[in-house]
Amino acid sequence: MNNWGFANQKTIAAICVVSWGLIGSNWALAQDSGKELFQQRCAACHTVGEGRRVGPDLVGVNDRRSASWLLKFITASQSVIKSGDPTAIGLFKEYQIVMPDQSLSGEQIKVILDYIKEPGGGQEASAVTATAPEATDQEIAKGQDLFQGKIRFSGGGPSCISCHNVKNEAVFGGGILAKELTTVYSRVGEQGLRAILTNPPFPVMKAAFDGKPILDDETHALVGFLKLADKENAFHQPREYGWIMFGSGCVGVIALLSFYSFVGRRRKKYSVNQEIYDRQIRSE
Amino acid sequence: MDIRSQISMVFHLDKCIGCHTCSVACKNIWTDRKGAEYMWWNNVETKPGTGYPTKWEDQGIYHGGWEKNGDGISLRGAGKRKGLLNIFHNPSLPVIDDYYEPFTYKYLDLIESAAGDDQPTARPVSMITGKPIDIKMGPNWDDDLSGTPDYARNDPNLKKLSAAEQEAMFQLERMAFFYLPRICNHCLNPACVASCPSGAIYKRGEDGVVLINQNVCRAWRMCVTACPYKKSYYNWHTGKSEKCILCYPRIEAGYAPACMHSCVGRIRYLGVILYDADRIHEVASASEGELINRHMDILVDPFDPTVIASAKKNGIADSTIQAAQNSPTYKFVKEWGLALPLHAEFRTLPMLFYVPPLLPVMATVKEVRNRKQTEKLGPISKVWDNDWLYDTSTEEIWGTIDQARFPLKYLANMFSAGDESKIKERLKKLMAVRIYRRWKTVGDITEKKAMDALREVGYTPEIADNVYYLTSLAKFDDRFVIPAAHREHAIEMLEFTGDKKGSTGFGFKEDTMKRGL
Ligand code: SF4
Ligand code: SF4
Repeated sequence: MNNWGFANQKTIAAICVVSWGLIGSNWALAQDSGKELFQQRCAACHTVGEGRRVGPDLVGVNDRRSASWLLKFITASQSVIKSGDPTAIGLFKEYQIVMPDQSLSGEQIKVILDYIKEPGGGQEASAVTATAPEATDQEIAKGQDLFQGKIRFSGGGPSCISCHNVKNEAVFGGGILAKELTTVYSRVGEQGLRAILTNPPFPVMKAAFDGKPILDDETHALVGFLKLADKENAFHQPREYGWIMFGSGCVGVIALLSFYSFVGRRRKKYSVNQEIYDRQIRSE
Repeated sequence: MDIRSQISMVFHLDKCIGCHTCSVACKNIWTDRKGAEYMWWNNVETKPGTGYPTKWEDQGIYHGGWEKNGDGISLRGAGKRKGLLNIFHNPSLPVIDDYYEPFTYKYLDLIESAAGDDQPTARPVSMITGKPIDIKMGPNWDDDLSGTPDYARNDPNLKKLSAAEQEAMFQLERMAFFYLPRICNHCLNPACVASCPSGAIYKRGEDGVVLINQNVCRAWRMCVTACPYKKSYYNWHTGKSEKCILCYPRIEAGYAPACMHSCVGRIRYLGVILYDADRIHEVASASEGELINRHMDILVDPFDPTVIASAKKNGIADSTIQAAQNSPTYKFVKEWGLALPLHAEFRTLPMLFYVPPLLPVMATVKEVRNRKQTEKLGPISKVWDNDWLYDTSTEEIWGTIDQARFPLKYLANMFSAGDESKIKERLKKLMAVRIYRRWKTVGDITEKKAMDALREVGYTPEIADNVYYLTSLAKFDDRFVIPAAHREHAIEMLEFTGDKKGSTGFGFKEDTMKRGL
């Protein structure tokens, strides 16, 4: 009987998993409206009619470029640049950043482009988070802690410092795996930052935060911190450790080694017979 | 008074022929395993010599054993504070080259090599790396090498001898050596037990055998440092330390340990000695000159009624007390006062005692008339036509002891913490029994002289006969008096046997699998 009970539990669990998956996919489908997709995928870097951010303003983009060019560029911008397309090269030169490849279907891209074409389309989407209050000192401190990993993200995502660095007195030796973020605030703007944090458009970052979203108040705190870092950067140049860091590491290692050899100076290091062995004739 | 029982041992050094049978017996049973190849729980050393591991007696190198500090004692190289400080970096460990790198030969090459101009050879290969090596050393590398500059003259026991005394020892005409077989002493105050940070080593309550629990050992190797006899070894394969277990499975079954069973010279004796555990600390911290006497005091008379009463109170079985009363080791150590512990100054109170060697008796070569003797010989006997006699008799009874080939100081450094009178006393007793037997069997010594000799060492002819019997004629059951193990009592001390009643009988060491999975 027991066995049957066990099988039942398993089945129930399996049903739960499958149905949860189905609910999830339904939800994903529901997002396929142009507005939502735009918010999710594009708004981090682009506005419609509100000026450039990380990427160009998309107002009237449908008139400027052909639909097929757009399709190619959105799915694989780098290959378009490599193919020598002058427009693409021009864009890259101007913005100094490649647009991440979007894993969108042709259908979805069309929906987004249609949405931009709509009169007033895109504006509300870009304006969603426009009216956030200025971060308090407390929040900035929290943002700093979040950045450094002193506080964990409640969603469980990795802390920023594991990949990014910020030149700031408070942050010591950040990661160099991804972009340097000292001036990100002026580069991307407040809304851009917010959008990147809520919906990372970059593949690696997206994967890292997949299923571990950064909550709104955390985003707010981080943006506050990055804004401050940007501002402070303009005033003073924080210390650049560079070789000093490496050098002090070497000195530290030498100091530690000599400390341990001092502690172990009376250690028995050789065989009592070493002197006899040294005299023995060896075959090689 | 807290009487406990200890299985103790006596090795009679005058009888050891240095055949290493004991070592091989032990190796075959216990240490013929990966990681244990270099260990010799039983080894036989030539003295003077450096031993195995090299210079193990020199605690300036290995920091083993106890040292006196104030009123008490503390471990020299291990213990709570020193042990903790050095726990990841034990500074006085012997390295493999202090023992020797174990090797075997590629024997298969002898029969499998292709035909060629040269005789095939079997190359030595290391048993640790499996690669060909140059043999640098073996466990008895200095066997019989008395006088050699690298070994004999580096013997740590020579340190306290003057240069002239040392030189005299190694003159060609006087050159001598003797064998020193060693196993774990199953000490009363074992440094190995005291040093173990994991508490893996224990002295068995019922018979005092010192064992390392292989499940608890955590490879700190403090015991390797702490044991001044270097009788705890680290197995590099299992990551556990190991030591002589006094063949306890054999003892429990009533057999003598393998080394003793196989001993060709029949030098080994094993028996129970009762001791007073209350006084261990006091005895171990005695001053150096007092150590041996106090050690002898703590070994109590098994016929004394108060001792018997206290032993019974401690749950020592009647059969064990009886074994103690018949114990050959008690006779050698206490009754006859012939045996001494090795290096008492390490203060571990070893329970393996040695009858010191009388060494080759000094002899003279005299010119005599051999004619008459020669005429008596039969036609097939070999006849020497010179007139020399290798004369071992002596006019002066104790002359030979004082002119012994080794200065007594050398033996005293090994067996009596430097006290020459103790060694002399034992040697005189051995000599007296010899003189007594010579009067009886050869007859070239007068009865008076023999009796005088006995009287001087405090022996009666009866004792001399007993010493002679146990030394030369003793049978197996006289040499090894092994009490019944009474494992059932020992187990009852640890767990309630009623728990198992009715649930075992056709058993498995591990639980069998349950049905339905
Ligand atoms: S001889 Fe060494 S290993 Fe044996 S009990 Fe004594 S201290 Fe321990
Ligand atoms: S077997 Fe006996 S005689 Fe031979 S070496 Fe060992 S102790 Fe000595």
